[in-house]
Amino acid sequence: MKKPLLLLVSLLVLGAVFYAYKSYNKEHTNVATTDAAETITAADLFNEFDTDETAAMTKYADKVIQVSGTILSQDLSNDKEPQIVIEGNGDDGFIRCGFKPSELSKVEKATPSTSIKIKGICTGLNGSDELDLLADKDVVLSNCIIIE
Amino acid sequence: MKKITILSLALLAIGLVAFKNHSGGIFKTNTGNINFFSHTSVEDIAADNHKVKSAFDASSGKIQFSALIKDFEFEKALMQEHFNENYMNSTKFPKTTFNGMIENMDAIKIGTDGIYTSNISGKLTIKDVTKDVSTKGTFTVKGGVVNAKATFQINPTDYNIEIPRVVSKKISKDIKVSIDADYTHAH
Repeated sequence: MKKPLLLLVSLLVLGAVFYAYKSYNKEHTNVATTDAAETITAADLFNEFDTDETAAMTKYADKVIQVSGTILSQDLSNDKEPQIVIEGNGDDGFIRCGFKPSELSKVEKATPSTSIKIKGICTGLNGSDELDLLADKDVVLSNCIIIE
Repeated sequence: MKKITILSLALLAIGLVAFKNHSGGIFKTNTGNINFFSHTSVEDIAADNHKVKSAFDASSGKIQFSALIKDFEFEKALMQEHFNENYMNSTKFPKTTFNGMIENMDAIKIGTDGIYTSNISGKLTIKDVTKDVSTKGTFTVKGGVVNAKATFQINPTDYNIEIPRVVSKKISKDIKVSIDADYTHAH
């Protein structure tokens, strides 16, 4: 094989290996450094999911979104993922925000009935009309950070 | 005399309600854990979901789960992406649910600390495919909190999860699913 060709082939192979390595070790979305694709109130977000889950999934799923609302409670019952529950429809609909354990001290400071602005990756609407014990619903956000 | 009868009936009713609250009622969690683990000689793959919604009725033994597919977190972002987009199609099929029974509910003394076991059976739905599953569950009651643990195996092909040939050696046909949830009395 001629030298320039050999060089080209080696470069291509090297490039492919580098690309494969990069994709294999791709980082998880960094919520803090990613701009929110949508900014919405907790009530509107819940309402969109409650009205048309399929449309809301297409619009919000896997996206970093910024949500503002009123804190209902903290849920620290699983130490692997502290959570904050934000009021949704004022009844049995909520926004549930999961945090990394490293955010625990900030989650602990969240005070019920005060307003909060958070950013997280939307994962869908949990709860089901077909399951009578789980009829309450949560729009779920993952890897959240508190903005204010 | 009438008054006494009414009074005793009222007391009896209160007593029954109090007893029912003590031994029955709905126990719930929104932070249950489901872990799945796939082992092959080539690669081990694991994922965790810590936002599993579940509840059981301590009177009837009915038990239900609902978990979002996109809430399963993998160590590698690429695996999580493949899992959601290629295998689970999780935007179209966002949830997995279980609807079943704790078969031996009477043996689980919700009001008494201890470790109890019971068979759990019911219908598991993944990607809109529903199959019967059955497994043994361990219930640990401690200070009003009921921890439930159960493990079962699933074969991805049973739920229309197609594994491409190129990666079939990396993904097990027997995926181990483990559940670990702390339930508290729902008010």
